[in-house]
Amino acid sequence: MSPDVLSELSMTEAADAFARGEVTARALVEAMLHRLGQHEAKVNSLIRLDREDALLAAHAADKARAAGQKLGPLGGVPMLHKDMYYREGKVSTCGSKIRRDFVPPVTATVLKRLDAAGAIDAGTLNMAEFAQNPTGHNAHFGDVMNPWNGAHCTGGSSSGSGAAVAARFVTAALGSDTGGSIRLPAAMCGVTGLKPTQTRVPRTGVMPLSFSADNVGPLCRTARDAARFLSVIAGACPNDPTSAREAVPDYEAALTGDLRGMRMAVVEPWFLDGIEEPVALAFEAAIRVLQGLGVRTEMISPASMHGIVTYTAVVSRVEGATIHQNWMRECPGDYATHLSARIYGGYAIPGTAYLEAVSRRGPLLRAFCAEALEGFDAVLTPTLRTRVPTRAETDIDADPENWARFMALSANTRPFNYLGLPTVSVPAGFDDRGLPVGLQIATRPFGEARLLRIADAFQRETDWHKRNPFP
Amino acid sequence: MAEPKLVLPTMDAIQRWQGVAVPNAAARHGLADFEALIADLEKLRGEMAFEEEPAGFEAALRDCRDKGS
Repeated sequence: MSPDVLSELSMTEAADAFARGEVTARALVEAMLHRLGQHEAKVNSLIRLDREDALLAAHAADKARAAGQKLGPLGGVPMLHKDMYYREGKVSTCGSKIRRDFVPPVTATVLKRLDAAGAIDAGTLNMAEFAQNPTGHNAHFGDVMNPWNGAHCTGGSSSGSGAAVAARFVTAALGSDTGGSIRLPAAMCGVTGLKPTQTRVPRTGVMPLSFSADNVGPLCRTARDAARFLSVIAGACPNDPTSAREAVPDYEAALTGDLRGMRMAVVEPWFLDGIEEPVALAFEAAIRVLQGLGVRTEMISPASMHGIVTYTAVVSRVEGATIHQNWMRECPGDYATHLSARIYGGYAIPGTAYLEAVSRRGPLLRAFCAEALEGFDAVLTPTLRTRVPTRAETDIDADPENWARFMALSANTRPFNYLGLPTVSVPAGFDDRGLPVGLQIATRPFGEARLLRIADAFQRETDWHKRNPFP
Repeated sequence: MAEPKLVLPTMDAIQRWQGVAVPNAAARHGLADFEALIADLEKLRGEMAFEEEPAGFEAALRDCRDKGS
């Protein structure tokens, strides 16, 4: 198979082809390198490419398979990950100048699990500085450019992850999500992004932003990819006492394609406020697809939304400001303008307001589940209310007046971080400028199997996730 | 647009409590957002009851979990 044909495989297709002996790991790594050579200059998704290490790992994988060894569910598949997953002895920049030379003393639990599943770690991806912007701007490593149109944002903070998967450099990449940082680049780049339930995936060896709201998850081509990826990385870790002890189900087994009898809620206040027409059209079309699969939908107006969106604005800002305070005193000029500006605001929020927001989190989760998920299988929203903006019109470093547009991008994603609910963004069309539109689906805690079943059924009926910006 | 009155005293308070100076014009601009945040928090007053023990988010996650998957 040619590199371009191989690059069209999804993660599960590539892993299964490797397991059956139909493709070598070396061919998969070479396809990645070929594709990077063709298109990376237009995207700027990489921070570090470990070319030789990846080829060596591929050689070892091919040798092991030839010897009859089973390599795991991700065997032979090359991946690149957001540059905030620590690997002992290797630089992890976190997209920053401050940590340009930071060499962590530990390896992230999720990287160890991906290694054990047979995935080949080929390097690290560009990202928003310290995972703190929704656009993909980066003053130190250069902005990541949307593969569909380089003048537009990729979404952040997992900007390189979204762009690298969309551009078919890799089939899957780790992102992180504190306010939408997996789902926004997934939506803006036209790929599938899963934010698991808070506590579902351990965070040991992952750069923190907000201990209450940080999540680890994949960006990949399909819901099936996300299901297999999550099966590998989910589950309690003794080194992360916050990780849940809930059993990890077989997420792929849940992908039956059958949604008959399901009920889903469209939450009217907040999530549709100020929605742009091309987004509304795609969202309505997505709902019709689900209705065609036997889903009944209903508009609802949960009273809990005001508290949720207000407290959402408090928690991660305070936590992010707190852990950055030494650097904000000692070297504020080493941050990009937009980042130090964002962190700074966190110091203005009183401790009592923060603790109120934390204390109300459990009661508001219960209230939202009672209002929006009792009798409903899922909640549907557009991932963004607006079309994908340009990098220029969201550039705070160039013009502080862009602040409101910049902050509004994550309006529909942040509430689910506060609530801790599992949420996925799937491609659901294109706007009038040819940029992707995302459909966001959320469900009850630890309901990833249900969530991915819905996303997979949607993808069986649509081909938005198969569109390639560089065919 | 005129700068809201809260901006200067907020900058002073941050300097005093945290020792962090305003890093740039965008940071100062961003503080103006807090008028709206404070107004939103005002609307929620009364919902935070006296608590005998902290409400548990992790307990709520478990109690609300999906039972069918």
